[in-house]
Amino acid sequence: MNFPKYNLMRLLAIMLSLSFSTAFAQKMEGEITYEKVTAWPKLYGTLTYMSNEERDRIKQTWGDDESKQEMRLLFNGQKSFYTSSKHLDNDAGWSWNEKEYKLYRDMETEKRTDIIEMLGKIYIVEDSVRAPKWKIMNKIKEIGGYMCMMAVTEDTVKKQKITAWFADNIPLGVGPDLYGGLPGMILELDINDGIVVTTAKKIEMKPITDDIEVPKKIKGRKINEQQYNTLVANHVRDSFKARRAFFWTMPY
Amino acid sequence: MKKSLLLLFCSLICLASYGQSTGRFTMKGIVGDTAGVGLPEATVMLLLPKDSSLVNFGRTGKDGSFEFKNLRRISYLLKVSYVGYLPYQQNVTPNDGDVTNVGKLGMKFLNQDLYEVVIKTARAPLSIRGDTVEYDPKAFKVPPGSTVEDLIRKLPGMQVDADGNIKAQGEEVKRVTVDGKRFFGDDPKMATKNLPAEAINKVQVFNGKTEQSKVTGVDDGKREKTVNLELKDSHKKGGFGKAVAGVGTDSRAEGKVSYNRFDDKQQFSVLGFGNNTNQSGIARNDYQDFKGSQSFNWGDDGDFGFSGGIRYFGGEGDGITISPSYGSGSPGFTKNWAGGANYNYDTKKTKVSTSYFYNSTDAVMDVMSSRDNFLNNSTFKSTDKNLTKTFSGNHRPSFRLEKVLDSLNTIILISNSRINNGDTDYNSFQQYRRGGDTLSNQSTIDNASLYNSFAMSNLLLYRHKFKKKGRNFAASVGYNINNSDGSSRLNSINEFFLDPSNNSSINQQNETESKRNQFKGSLSFIEPFAKKFYWETFYNFSLRKDEVDRNVFDVKDNVLQTNQFLTRYYTNDFTYNRIGSSVRYSNKGLNISLGLAAQQFDLKGKFGQDQSSTSFSHVDRSFFKVTPNVTLNYDLKQNRYLFMEYGLSVQEPTIADLQPVVDNSNPLNIVEGNPNLIPQSNHHVFAGYNMFNPASFTNIYVNVNYSYNVDQIVYNKTIDENLITTTKPMNISGGKNYGSYVYLGFPLKKTKVSMNVNAGINFSNNPIYINNVINKTKTDAYNFGARLDITPSDIFTLYANANWNIADTRYSINTNQNQKVVNSTYGADMNVKMPKEIYFNARFNYNSYVNNQFGFDQKQPILNLAVYKIVLKNKRGEVRLTAYDVFKRNLGISQSATSNYYMETRTKTLSRYFMLSFTYNMRGMSASVKRSNY
Repeated sequence: MNFPKYNLMRLLAIMLSLSFSTAFAQKMEGEITYEKVTAWPKLYGTLTYMSNEERDRIKQTWGDDESKQEMRLLFNGQKSFYTSSKHLDNDAGWSWNEKEYKLYRDMETEKRTDIIEMLGKIYIVEDSVRAPKWKIMNKIKEIGGYMCMMAVTEDTVKKQKITAWFADNIPLGVGPDLYGGLPGMILELDINDGIVVTTAKKIEMKPITDDIEVPKKIKGRKINEQQYNTLVANHVRDSFKARRAFFWTMPY
Repeated sequence: MKKSLLLLFCSLICLASYGQSTGRFTMKGIVGDTAGVGLPEATVMLLLPKDSSLVNFGRTGKDGSFEFKNLRRISYLLKVSYVGYLPYQQNVTPNDGDVTNVGKLGMKFLNQDLYEVVIKTARAPLSIRGDTVEYDPKAFKVPPGSTVEDLIRKLPGMQVDADGNIKAQGEEVKRVTVDGKRFFGDDPKMATKNLPAEAINKVQVFNGKTEQSKVTGVDDGKREKTVNLELKDSHKKGGFGKAVAGVGTDSRAEGKVSYNRFDDKQQFSVLGFGNNTNQSGIARNDYQDFKGSQSFNWGDDGDFGFSGGIRYFGGEGDGITISPSYGSGSPGFTKNWAGGANYNYDTKKTKVSTSYFYNSTDAVMDVMSSRDNFLNNSTFKSTDKNLTKTFSGNHRPSFRLEKVLDSLNTIILISNSRINNGDTDYNSFQQYRRGGDTLSNQSTIDNASLYNSFAMSNLLLYRHKFKKKGRNFAASVGYNINNSDGSSRLNSINEFFLDPSNNSSINQQNETESKRNQFKGSLSFIEPFAKKFYWETFYNFSLRKDEVDRNVFDVKDNVLQTNQFLTRYYTNDFTYNRIGSSVRYSNKGLNISLGLAAQQFDLKGKFGQDQSSTSFSHVDRSFFKVTPNVTLNYDLKQNRYLFMEYGLSVQEPTIADLQPVVDNSNPLNIVEGNPNLIPQSNHHVFAGYNMFNPASFTNIYVNVNYSYNVDQIVYNKTIDENLITTTKPMNISGGKNYGSYVYLGFPLKKTKVSMNVNAGINFSNNPIYINNVINKTKTDAYNFGARLDITPSDIFTLYANANWNIADTRYSINTNQNQKVVNSTYGADMNVKMPKEIYFNARFNYNSYVNNQFGFDQKQPILNLAVYKIVLKNKRGEVRLTAYDVFKRNLGISQSATSNYYMETRTKTLSRYFMLSFTYNMRGMSASVKRSNY
C-alpha cells in the first residue's frame, strides 16, 4: 500500500470508533494551509479585448511573473472557515490594505456566510450552500500525501474553467474559495488552467483553537447568493465593455 | 445537488425507510476488494453517463455495503474510490424491480509501481480511463530527428497512411492540436509532419467537439477524433514580426522592421527603423518588444537609502542605455536611422541579457527669434536668425547578468556603454536694436565642431537575504567613465555701431579633451524588529574626478596663437559621503518611514592654463548637511489611498561655478564664477489622496505640494550700457512654489460615456538679482481641464478634451512687464469602423495662446486624418493613408517672457504631408476604435 501510514492509521482508528455515522464527520478537525499562486501574464491573457500583440508583449516582458499568497482553511466536523493569510513574496514587509475575505460554512445547517470585500464595499453573502454541477473525471494525483480525484465544473458568471482535486478520505465538502460540495476536501483548485492555482501545502489534522464561528457583529451589506451573482456578472460585463481588468476590484 | 454529507449518511447507512414513489428505485451493492473483503468508508458516487455529472454520493458501511434510495429511473455511472485502489466504475441500468442490486464490486489494488512513478515521482496526474487516452512518447523510442508522424506510427491503436493521414482506433483524425491550440491552419498533417518527435511530452487522443459546435456554442453531440500534442516546456517556442513601410509627399518616407524569436528560456529580437518624419526615439511598444523580459529592472542603479543618494553622473549626448520615447516627434527636420539586436536568456537562476543598438540623427533647425529686453530704464530688441545642422551617431552595447547563487544570495553585473560621435554646423546672424529702431550692434557667427565621446557604466550589485525574514544586506560598487574629445572652429564678426572701438572679429580654434570618471559604492542593511518595524541603515560613497584640457587658439593669417584667456586646464575631485538611517512602520496598510542622513561634500579643484602651468589656482571646499526624510503611504479600506512625503534635498555648487574666473568667450555674454557659493537646499512637501469606486467607475484624486528654497543658486545678470550681460551665480533664499491639483472622473452613462474634470492652482515666487536689484517674479497659475470619452459601440468612438491655463505673472521691478497668458487647447479624436474592415481616424487639436501684454495671439489648428483597411488572411496586413497637419499650421512658433525679456521663436518644422503606408504583422493587426484601460 502506498499512502502515508499516518492516514491509514487514522482511517483505521476512525473506522473502529465508528458507531454512528455522524461521529465520523465530527472528528474531522484541523487546518489546511494553501498557497495561492496567481500567474499575472496568463491572467492578462484572458482579457479578450486585447490584441494578440498586446498579450504577447505582456507574456514576453513579464514571463512567469507570479504572486504567492498563503490561505488558511480551518474546520471541525460541522463548520469551516477559509481566509487569506500572509503574502509569501513580500520580503520588504510593505503593508497594504488586505481586502476582507472570510468564508464561513456551516455543514450542519448548510448555511454560508461570506464576508467579501469587492467593488469597494464589504458584502456579506448569506444563503444556503449550493454546490456547483461537478463532473468527476478519471484522473488521480497525490497532494500532500492524499490521493485526490479530479472534478471539473464551470463558473458561468466569470466564464472560468474550474478544476478541483479532492481527497475522499477527508470527507468534508469544503475547499478553497467558494468551492465545495464534493465527496471530499478540495486540496487543489485550479482556475482556468493555471491562472490561479491554490494548492494545499500543509494538511494538519489537529484540534483547532482559532475561532471559526461567524462573528456576531459584521459590518457590511447583506445580500443573498442571487444578488451576489448579479453583482459579479454585471461588473464583469461592464468591465469588459469599458476595457478594464475586472480582477483588480473583485476576487478572480 | 444539495445534499450534505450528514443527510447522506442518514439516508444511506441509517437505513431509514421511505415509501417508494412510482418510477423511483433503490440501488444497492457491496464494495470489496478482489478477494471479496468488504471495504468500509469507500466513496460511492453516482454520475450521469453522458457527461460524468455528479448526482449523488455516499459512503459504504462497515461491511462495504451501500444503498442509494429514491433514484430516478435512468442509467447511472457508478464510481467507487478507495485509498490504495484503482477507482472503479461501471454502468448501472435499473431493472424493472424496486431494487437494483449491483452485487459485489471487486476493486483492484492500485499498481504500486504506477503509483510511485506516475503520481509520486512525476507528480503528474494519471489518466485512468475515460475519454482521453494518454501516451507517453518516452515509452516509444524513435530515432533522433524523427517527426511526430514517425512517432505516431509506433503508437498502439494508431495508423498513418502514405499521405500522412492519421487514424486512431480506426477513425480518421480530423484535427491535430498543439497544447490545445490549432497549429497553423486546419490541415492535421501540418503539425505531425513538421514538429520533431523529441519536442513532444504527451500524445493525447480524444473525441473533441466539432468546429461547428465550438463556434456556435451549441453542442451538436458530434465528436471528431482529435489528437493533441503536448509540447515539452523546452520546446515552447515561437516567433513574431512586424514590418511597416510608407512613402509620402514632400519626399517623406518611413520604415520599420521588428522580429522576435523565443522559447521558454531565450528571447531574441531585432529592431530597425529609418525615417525623415522626425521620429527619432524608440516607441514604447517597440522598446518593450525589443528588450522583452529585460524591459524593466528596478534598483539597477545600486544606490540605497532614501532619495537624494548618489550624485548625477551625466555627460553630453543621450543616455548610456536605450529608453522608450514617450513624446511626440522632434522639432525642425530630422533624418533618423536606428537598429539593433537583443538576446535574453532567462531561467529562475540565471538571467543574461545583451544587446547592441545604433542610432543616428541628422537634424536641421532653421530658427528665427526676436527678443525684447527690458532694463531698469531702457529697452532693446534683439533678433537672431540661425541655422543649425547636427549629426549624432550612437553605438550602445549593453550587458546584464543576474545570477541567483542560492535562495539567499544574488549578484547582478551590469555593463553599458555608449560610443558617440557627432558634428555641428552653426550659422547665426544677430542684431541688437535699442530705443526705437537704432541698430546698436550685430554679430555674424559661423561655427563648426566635431566630437567623439565614450561613456561606460559598470555596476556590481550583491544582495543577501538572511534566514530571518526581512533582514537584508546589499552592497554595490560602480565605475563610470565619460570621456570626450572635441574640436571646434569659431568664427564671428561683432560690430558695435555706437562704439566702433568695441568691434571685434573672432577666429578661433578650440581643442578640448575631457575625462571624467567616477567610482561609487553603496551599502544597505535592513533589520526587521517588533514584527511591524523595518530599520534600514545605509551608506553612499562617490568619488568623481574630472580632467578638462581646453586649448584655444586665435587664428591669424593661418597661424595658430594660443589664446591665454580661454586656454584652460583643470581637474576637479568631488567626493561625496552620506550615511543615514530610516525606520519604517508597516501595519494594516499604513507604511510610515522616518529617516535622517548626514552628507559631506568635498570639492577640490585645480586650474591653470595648461598641464605644465607653474601657477595653479585652487578651490577647496567642504560642505556638511543633515537631511531629514519622512514618507507616509496609507492604503485605506475601500480603495482609498493617502500619501505624504517631506524631504530636504541638497545640491552642491558645481566647481565651474566656484571658480573665481571670468569666461569672456562670448563677448556679449560674460560668465563669472563665485568662490563664496554654498550648497542650495530645497524643502519639499507633497501629499495626496486617491479614491476609486470600482462599482461606479468613479475616481477622485487630490494633491497638494509645497517647496521652499534655501540658498538657491541663481544666475544673477548685470547688463551694462553696451548691452553686455555679465552672469554670476549667487545664493539667495526665499524662492517658493506651492499648489494643488484635483481630478474627478466618472461615467455619465456606464461604459458608454465617461467624463473627467480636473483643476489645478500653482503659486510661485522666484527672486533673482538684475543689475543688483532684487526682482521677485510671482506667478499665479490656474488650470482647468475636462475630458469626455464617448464609446457607444464597437464602430464609433469620440474622445474629446479641453484645457485652459491662465498664468498671471507679476514682477517687483519692471511692473509694466506684468503679464497674463491664456493658453487653451481643445482636442478631439474620432474613430469610425466602416464595413469591409475599413477604419477612419481623425485627430484634431486646436491650440490658442494669448499674451495680452505683448499682443501675442496665436491660434493653431492641427488636423491629422487617417483611413486604413485591414487586409490579408488573419488580418495580417494594413494599408493606411494618412494626412498630417491638413491645414499646414504646424509653424513651430513659441513665446516666452520673463521680467526682463519677451521672446518669440519660429522654428521651421515638418508640416503638411500625406503618407501611404503598409504594415504586415504576423500576429494580425489590432484595429479597434476603443482604447484599452488595462
